[in-house]
Amino acid sequence: MAQGSRQYFAVAILMCAFVSINGVGLNDLLDRASQLSDKLHYLSTSLTNDLDSHFPPIGRGMMPRPSLCHTSSLQIPNDKDQAMKVPEDELLSLARSLLLAWSDPLALLSSEASSLAHPERNTINSKTKELQDNINSLGAGLEHVVHKMGSSSDNLSTLPFNGNNLGQDKTSRLVNFHFLLSCFRRDSHKIDSFLKVLRCRAAKKRPDMC
Amino acid sequence: MRISAAVLILTLIADLISQAAGVSPPGKPRLTSCRSPEKETFTCWWEPGDDGGLPTTYALYYRLENTETVKECPDYKTAGENSCFFDKNATSLWVNYNITVVATNALGRNISEPVEVDVVYIVQPNTPENVKAVVIHEDRDPFVKVSWDKPRTADTRSGWITLHYQLRVKQEEDKEWVEYDAERQKNYNVFSLHSDREYMVQVRCKPDHGFWSEWTQTTYVKMPNYIPRERSLWIMITIFSVFIVFILTWMLKVKHNSVKLCLLPPVPGPKIKGFDKQLLKSGKSEEVFNSLVIPGFPPTTDYDDLLVEYLEVYDNEEQELVLDGKDLSEDSMKSKSPSDSDSGRGSCDSRTLLLDKCMEGSGNDQHNYSQHGETSWASSSECSESQGSPGSPESTDGRMKTWPVVFSSPQPHHHYQVGATKPAYHSVPEILKHSPSHAIPSNYHQLYLQDIPPQEGRFTKPPCRHSQSYNQFNMDNVDISEAGVPPSRSLEYVEVQRVNPENILLLRPLSDPNREPEGSDRIDEDYSKVKEVTSNNTLLLQRETSHQVVNDYSQDFESYADQCTAQQTPHPCKPVMTQLHSQDMRVMGNGYVDTTVLMPLYKQF
Repeated sequence: MAQGSRQYFAVAILMCAFVSINGVGLNDLLDRASQLSDKLHYLSTSLTNDLDSHFPPIGRGMMPRPSLCHTSSLQIPNDKDQAMKVPEDELLSLARSLLLAWSDPLALLSSEASSLAHPERNTINSKTKELQDNINSLGAGLEHVVHKMGSSSDNLSTLPFNGNNLGQDKTSRLVNFHFLLSCFRRDSHKIDSFLKVLRCRAAKKRPDMC
Repeated sequence: MRISAAVLILTLIADLISQAAGVSPPGKPRLTSCRSPEKETFTCWWEPGDDGGLPTTYALYYRLENTETVKECPDYKTAGENSCFFDKNATSLWVNYNITVVATNALGRNISEPVEVDVVYIVQPNTPENVKAVVIHEDRDPFVKVSWDKPRTADTRSGWITLHYQLRVKQEEDKEWVEYDAERQKNYNVFSLHSDREYMVQVRCKPDHGFWSEWTQTTYVKMPNYIPRERSLWIMITIFSVFIVFILTWMLKVKHNSVKLCLLPPVPGPKIKGFDKQLLKSGKSEEVFNSLVIPGFPPTTDYDDLLVEYLEVYDNEEQELVLDGKDLSEDSMKSKSPSDSDSGRGSCDSRTLLLDKCMEGSGNDQHNYSQHGETSWASSSECSESQGSPGSPESTDGRMKTWPVVFSSPQPHHHYQVGATKPAYHSVPEILKHSPSHAIPSNYHQLYLQDIPPQEGRFTKPPCRHSQSYNQFNMDNVDISEAGVPPSRSLEYVEVQRVNPENILLLRPLSDPNREPEGSDRIDEDYSKVKEVTSNNTLLLQRETSHQVVNDYSQDFESYADQCTAQQTPHPCKPVMTQLHSQDMRVMGNGYVDTTVLMPLYKQF
């Protein structure tokens, strides 16, 4: 919670600085965004580990395939060579699209976390909340990056999420929760990787950090 | 039917034979780990199961999550035994690999458990390379700068992978390593290493979301032999402060007296001779006060001491006055011989008799003065120059010093009967003795008989002009003698003009006709008034506490310059001397012991 609020505050500072003096460099913006995305993925991994600690064996068999993630339709570079060929603004829009696609599902996860049939429910609940804050902060920060980079913000892909609830019984709810979380974990890694590529591309003057 | 039965029987027999021979199908292999060093390729390793005694082959098959195609491992060799290396083309990120290993031998095959692998979650970089540790000698204490390079395969330049570094240091004999985080830098400064020791250094790295690499090979670094700056600084500080302490001690020693005086000024203790503290503690005030009374105290001839208390100073020469008095008293105490140069001096010669200046007067007087040496008369007081008329009042300028003069007997042994107070005028009797006797001027009469009106103070103040009279010891001051005694004044002093060779104390009243008698009652308490001079050459003192005259006589005085009767004076010469006994001492209304009453007055004519 503290981390999320801190990062939110950090991004707010960024916004203030941007609005007031317009002196925050792109490097710093991207650096900050990378830190936020790093935190995002770290949280999701931690949540997954918490869930896995007491996952019913039968649930593993019921786990849907990752290709069923609602963001799987988004075309992204799958390896480094492909990624190196993608231009910056496209990378940025990919990151932003993914981020946008997860705001609703995370809200669902957040609401479901409190009633999970899991012994680590409280921890999961708090981390989910933190995740939500983090996403909002990162989204706002990326908005500024977009403005700084001057790229248009209208080529975002929409990735609709149609889930209203996670299931009827507690097991299926737990399984679906786990599945959603795993999809999010992967997508957060994508966002993080793209932003860090963008960071190093923008920081050509500082080779020591890249 | 018969064939299947035969096959069955043959298989059984074969199994039995093979079991008897010790061969079996392979055991189940197990995928141990898959790792990607740079997020571009990855390798999987498996653990073969029991081979069943027969040559067994292993095959790894994988399937990407979105497809149904099962592919076999493209490279079994690169990564070594029982491994499968996926090159860049075969590697896709953010997709799950379903990997299985199949062990096959002559008797059968075995399939391992499937493993789901996402390449981005299995990143473990290679170790950092080219670790260097050098000792840097700069202005400060030497430290070690450790530097390294990134693992060759990791592409941090494009940001595809971000590495965090960590190093650890220890001495050979230490048990625990000390770890330092270098974040994303490729160098690190290690401080606080001990001098003249050898240290081991190792480095490793980790991607932002992955596993730590292995530690590098140990790099050795030797710290040089040096004295820590901090210690040398403390040594210098210590030496410097010791030096300062020495200097301060020496200074204190040299000047300890003045320092002591400055810090602990001496507190003068109250001392009253004859005062017994013990008596006071006992709480009986009568005893205390009685003990203060000493027979023979005060010395009859030392009334000039007491006169000090009645010093009335009008100008800033008081300081000089007091000082003079002090000196004089000391001198008097020291020298008891009448020939003492500074003793026995009359008012003129006495420096403490801050009467009118004994200015340069007549020559013979000067001569007399010279007998005594000092003449601080001229300097002691600055009377007004208006010394024309004898009877004129004291100098009107405020600079006249008036001095109540108590006449003391010429008996030297009386001088110091009381050792308590240093008489300012102790010299008076000596003066009397020394000075050549002269005829008592008639002014004496005037002094004593006329110049002391009852309501006046006991002592008459000789007018300022008396300085002149001092100079002229005897009769030259006829004019002065004619000077009428000034009307009663608040303070009446008799001024010792001079001590003539005959040890006659010539007194002159300090008269100030301009002055009104003021508070004569008050004065009465403080001073004794000479009433008359008896035939015994004793001054009859008038003690007036309530306008009553109390005459006390003292017969103790032995020798008086009996010049009174010998001289022609317009008034009867009545040497008056009073010596009050102890019981005659009175405690005056204002709380003071009226020691003046005790003082014998001696008057000679």
